[in-house]
Amino acid sequence: MPKEQYRETDVARKISHVSFGVESAESMQQQSHIHVVAKNLYNQDVQRTPIPYGVLDQRLGSNSKEAPCQTCGKNINQCVGHFGYIDLELPVFHVGYFRSIISILQSICKKCAHVLLEEADKHQYRVRLANPHLSYMTKKAIRKKLVDRCKKNYKCPHCKEVNGFVKKMTAKGSTGNSVLKIVHERNRDKDKKNLLEDQLKEYTVAIESNPEIKTALSGTPISEILTPLDVLKLFERIPENDIILLAMDPKRSQPKDLIFTRMLVPPVTIRPSVVSDLKAGTNEDDLTMKQSEIIFINDVIKKHKQSGASVNMYQEGWDFLQLQSALYINSELSGIPLAMMPKKPGRGLVQRLKGKQGRFRGNLSGKRVDFSSRTVISPDPNLEIDQVGVPKHIAKILTFPERVIHANIDVMRKLVINGPDNWPGANYVQQKGSQFKKFLKYGNREKLAQELKLGDMVERHLHDNDVVLFNRQPSLHKLSIMAHRAKIHNHRTFRFNECVCNPYNADFDGDEMNLHLPQTEEAKAEALILMGNKSNLVTPRNGELLIAATQDFLTGAYLLTRKDTFLDKTHATYLAATLLAGNDTHMHIDLPTPCIIKPVPLWSGKQICSLIFRPNKKSVVKANLEAKGKAYTKNREMCVKDSYVIIRNSELLAGTLDKGHLGNGGKGGNIFYVILRDFGKEFAIRSMWRLARMTSTYLMNSGFSIGIGDVTPGENLVRRKNKLLSEGYTKCQEFIQQMNDGKLQTQPGCSIEESLEAVILKELSVIREHAGQACVAELHATNSPLIMALSGSKGSFINISQMIACVGQQALNGKRVPNGFDDRSLPHFEHFSKTPEAKGFVENSFYTGLTPTEFFFHTMGGREGLVDTAVKTAETGYMQRRLVKALEDLVVHYDGSVRNAEGDIVQITYGCDGLDPTYMEGKDCPVDFQRVLDHVKAKCPYRQEVSLSGDQIRRATQAFIATKALDECNEHFTNELIKFMNTIADRVEAVTSKFGSSPLAKEIERLTCSQLVTFLDTCGQKYTRSIIEPGTAVGALAAQSIGEPGTQMTLKTFHFAGVASMNITQGVPRIKEIINASKSISTPIIRACLVNNVDPWFAREVKGRVERTTLGEISTFIDDIYTKTDAFLLIQLNYERIKLLKLEVDAESIRYSLCTSKLKLKPSDVIVESDTIITVHPNRSKNSRRLNFALSELKEQIPNVVVKGLSTVNRAVIAREDKGGKTTYSLCVEGDNLREVMATYGVDGTKTLSNNIMEVYHTLGIEAARETIMTEIKMVMENHGMSVDYRHIMLLAAQMTHTGEVLGITRQGLSKMKQSVLNLASFEKTADHLFDAAYYGQTDKINGVSENIIMGMPAPIGTGIFKLLHKPLSVDQAPVSEPLLFETALKEVG
Amino acid sequence: MSRLHCESESFKMDLILDINSWLYPMELGDKFRLVLATTLREDGYADAGDWNPQGLENEGSRADSFEYVMAGKVYRIEGDEAANEPSSRLAAYVSFGGLLMRLQGDANNLHSFEVDQHMYLLMKKIFM
Repeated sequence: MPKEQYRETDVARKISHVSFGVESAESMQQQSHIHVVAKNLYNQDVQRTPIPYGVLDQRLGSNSKEAPCQTCGKNINQCVGHFGYIDLELPVFHVGYFRSIISILQSICKKCAHVLLEEADKHQYRVRLANPHLSYMTKKAIRKKLVDRCKKNYKCPHCKEVNGFVKKMTAKGSTGNSVLKIVHERNRDKDKKNLLEDQLKEYTVAIESNPEIKTALSGTPISEILTPLDVLKLFERIPENDIILLAMDPKRSQPKDLIFTRMLVPPVTIRPSVVSDLKAGTNEDDLTMKQSEIIFINDVIKKHKQSGASVNMYQEGWDFLQLQSALYINSELSGIPLAMMPKKPGRGLVQRLKGKQGRFRGNLSGKRVDFSSRTVISPDPNLEIDQVGVPKHIAKILTFPERVIHANIDVMRKLVINGPDNWPGANYVQQKGSQFKKFLKYGNREKLAQELKLGDMVERHLHDNDVVLFNRQPSLHKLSIMAHRAKIHNHRTFRFNECVCNPYNADFDGDEMNLHLPQTEEAKAEALILMGNKSNLVTPRNGELLIAATQDFLTGAYLLTRKDTFLDKTHATYLAATLLAGNDTHMHIDLPTPCIIKPVPLWSGKQICSLIFRPNKKSVVKANLEAKGKAYTKNREMCVKDSYVIIRNSELLAGTLDKGHLGNGGKGGNIFYVILRDFGKEFAIRSMWRLARMTSTYLMNSGFSIGIGDVTPGENLVRRKNKLLSEGYTKCQEFIQQMNDGKLQTQPGCSIEESLEAVILKELSVIREHAGQACVAELHATNSPLIMALSGSKGSFINISQMIACVGQQALNGKRVPNGFDDRSLPHFEHFSKTPEAKGFVENSFYTGLTPTEFFFHTMGGREGLVDTAVKTAETGYMQRRLVKALEDLVVHYDGSVRNAEGDIVQITYGCDGLDPTYMEGKDCPVDFQRVLDHVKAKCPYRQEVSLSGDQIRRATQAFIATKALDECNEHFTNELIKFMNTIADRVEAVTSKFGSSPLAKEIERLTCSQLVTFLDTCGQKYTRSIIEPGTAVGALAAQSIGEPGTQMTLKTFHFAGVASMNITQGVPRIKEIINASKSISTPIIRACLVNNVDPWFAREVKGRVERTTLGEISTFIDDIYTKTDAFLLIQLNYERIKLLKLEVDAESIRYSLCTSKLKLKPSDVIVESDTIITVHPNRSKNSRRLNFALSELKEQIPNVVVKGLSTVNRAVIAREDKGGKTTYSLCVEGDNLREVMATYGVDGTKTLSNNIMEVYHTLGIEAARETIMTEIKMVMENHGMSVDYRHIMLLAAQMTHTGEVLGITRQGLSKMKQSVLNLASFEKTADHLFDAAYYGQTDKINGVSENIIMGMPAPIGTGIFKLLHKPLSVDQAPVSEPLLFETALKEVG
Repeated sequence: MSRLHCESESFKMDLILDINSWLYPMELGDKFRLVLATTLREDGYADAGDWNPQGLENEGSRADSFEYVMAGKVYRIEGDEAANEPSSRLAAYVSFGGLLMRLQGDANNLHSFEVDQHMYLLMKKIFM
């Protein structure tokens, strides 16, 4: 009797779609149970019963435990509530539709209510809008176009009425209240006069008595206020045929319904009254209050109507009604006059929906859950990698409903007897067929246990080895929630192995984590397979190991595997015995032969460490690894630092293990990665755990600590450091002197100050670097910080040198400390001082202590870091949210294509090769051929076989491929494989020709036939394994893979683009620019290749053509000359400079530029006097009276006239590149206008790149833009040392460009990418999207992830992607349809 | 731990060897006898492969006549990369639990080396 399987909620009723529409007054009444009229809430009696026909009427649903609902008779838990309605005395505008109302008014005639279009146009639009498959986006676009056209058509084609502008009334220029009012300004330019005359005619009598009216009338535009009543009447008259032209669906929404005449009263269940303890009476919800207020105003207006009150009072009431009904919907209305502003802003309907805590994001997309727990975390190396320690207190509360079957009935009885207070026990029992759970705390548990039958449900406590989900916020990637096996313990914290810190980004300084217990067997199974942390050792971001040894384990392993660690028998066996734990308690361990047998048997640490991977000869793990370590020097394993690791058949033969081999991040060079890939996750986590146990035991016994002695510099070090400092300081002093003398060599594109900064900065960083090197060289091998840095467990060489030698330059904004005082950084220094110490160089170490000024500079740097982190978290968080929202729907389908929720193809094959980034062993390739070959050769020696010759290898490879064993691999892969085998064959041949074919020589490159076949087979298997599975949520993975590293990026970093002087924005700001698809980016740079790239003079010429050169830059002087008869400007050109800059300008061309500039000079006014002299005369006729003003104006503006180059280009710098003794030149152009740069003579347009995506899109098209997005994101990631698989970036670029235009990951872009209203509403601008959808009568198909979550259904992604297509055998023909009753009747009649 | 760079008196062989110099100190210029063997048994039969702590005392062993004995494994045989012309100078690499040995010499003198072979190194100083 298995537990029920997951079933979709109700098979008979599945939500297929959600339609939005505008409720009509009639249907409101149909839905409602009562007409609400009473303004008071409660009777004034003792019980405070709600007033009948008030907003709290008991027929609107139950509000308290005592009183059941009077409509359905159910109590508070069951009654869903019922609607009522209020009839408004006067119609008012609906705030949500206010903008739509205006745009309708703009597109219809204000007299006859027809759409302002010719019949032919109307027909055309009608056809287009009637298309049922029209996408939401195009519908909106058509409507926008239509409104624009109607606005221009001011004369109604139907009744010839002249229509004016319709707009929202603004506060200025109007008397009285202007909230939510629409004005119709009828004076169009052409007909102004006629209209004015008409209007004046109307007022003839009035003007006669008071002539001032005339002036008042003719001054202001003729405008009328369109009251809701007017608008309603207009809308009711819009012809049925024209409604479709407003892009409305007449079946779902009518224009007239956009205006409020009747209002629904929501059920009391959504606005409960709370009985207050403090004061008498109840606290009412904002909605309740607002509605009772509306009824009150309604009553007032009614009274006014009956009593015939003044127009003013009447109008005031109407305005108030309008405002209150608007505030009921949206309480954050802007532009309310102060007098009418409500005292406290309530929560309107819109406020309930929107925002992080709103209905959409707070309750529909993310829900609070039961069976969860949270507590502080602590480390425990004795727990296995896939375990989590759970406090017993928590285990007693989290329960799992387990069905009693004959196999577990005895256990279940015991649990029931133990009850809720003894672990392991049970909290509830639900007997089969019974609705009620029995709480086991009270009552006779023995009896209940005896009565336990098959099929009963026992809510038992959490057990050891139950699958639980473990999570730490912020959940930035899928590895932030993983499944572990529970291990109950008696303490009060969650515990787990430190190796798992990485994916959660957890430390133990007080972090808390969450734990959830899945409630069904299916959920457990899925969690274990898909989310189990042993299935997620590797991050999908780049396929690197994420769960791996950290901190102490690395230190321990480093110390243990050092060359001079030897252990006698006691210590060796003690360490080996640490492996005997958990499932391995009774494992057999084969102690290897001690490496030193005589004089005393001694084992090396490496030998003992090898037991981690392969404790006995029966173990199948034969891992192979050859990798360089952190301190590698040369000569492979003979490296003097012993930093070249060789592991052969799980035996550590040489090298000291460090972070590179054990820690996170590595691929082929990591031993756990190798074990994972070649032997499976089970072995990987087991050896990881063994390492954790062995190294921590070793460290505990050998001891590891740090003290002041570790950071005390020796005499020699102090001497070396002082020498470095004095040398560096003198050099800096020299540079400063050189600058003062003007002798400093400027760097290309830099001013002299900038050049000085650059050289000094370089010099100072050299000082620190050398100090660091000196440190490392001087420190003893037992120095604790050094060991930590070398093993990679904590800290770097820079940290060591900062502690011992020299803290170094403090940077602010990438520059030296700026001047906070007048021309100096602090008042302790001379004015204009540029010395290292005055600009923030800290020459002391943390050990020696900082001087006051140094300390202050250091705090400045520290503060920047803090501010940076604070700003960064908020910014990257939002970026991540946007990325996920934009990409969440992308799924790999069964045909290998990536499609969005609509089924539109985003990529034909995922990442162009359909491979999963998780399984990339090599660089962007599923197999690292050399590593696998070495592994196969070591693992399977096939000693009895002979080794193959080069030719045999080639033939065998061909034969293997011919067997179609590699048919699943794509061509590229097979070709790479053949290429690799050929290089192997070449190598074999080279060896044979050099050393002959003696048996010993054959050992050098030995490859036998079986080895070859095993190798090729393994490659094929690895490839097949790496093919991406259909249903993979590649979009979410891509979003996480790009967003998560963002949190680790330091915010403001600059990077040099080819030349030192040209910075480009990097880091989070740049990523933001890219994914926002910003039009103008902060550092646009065009990299232009030159037709002739070896000639520096040619480069200068091109530079001259591109760079913006103003007249001021190339003239010696510009003087104003006044003579008796004339006044003009005299421009003397600097010919030397023109020549030097290789500018292609002369006096004539400058004259041309002047005449075509914005200065509006006539050709006759610009006279070329000689080759170098131009005179410019101000326009005499225009400025005859104020000639000297015109001249000085001209003098100010004329230096800025662009005479050569592109005005958008601020700067162009020649980039010099020395490669292999050949110097090439290219041009870095700072600025926009790719098109012009490409077309410039001398520029090789086909090789010119820009980093401005939008410009590339407009110049070169969508594919080029996609390529640019990819290269730009890749570059940013690489600059920050973050490796992200190219497939993720490619998918992001594809999503941004797949519509044919570049869409940013912003709310604007997103609303063009998505069709679903619910999806958009759950992102941003919730209310706007909902009102829009209602207006258009939009239908949401519910096919995306967000929509399905909102509806509480499984989403078509991951394991939800497949459906069972079942063809029932019994049904052969279509069922006969019964004719409907009325249809038959109709036929009879007709 | 010390690394010794040694030359043989005969066969023109070069040797690089790591030894535990705490246990077995060596000085520059010291002369020693070095034997490489696949078994420690006097009779020359292959030993069991497993380490037997009693083994050394029970039977007569080759180790008895040496001062310093190590056990290890051959893990690579390599050609001399420096020489371009065809030669027969090869190098065998042995790891004694991380203490490395490189024996370079003529192929004929290294003929019985095989990758993955167990190997014992026995050393004895020669005093003149």
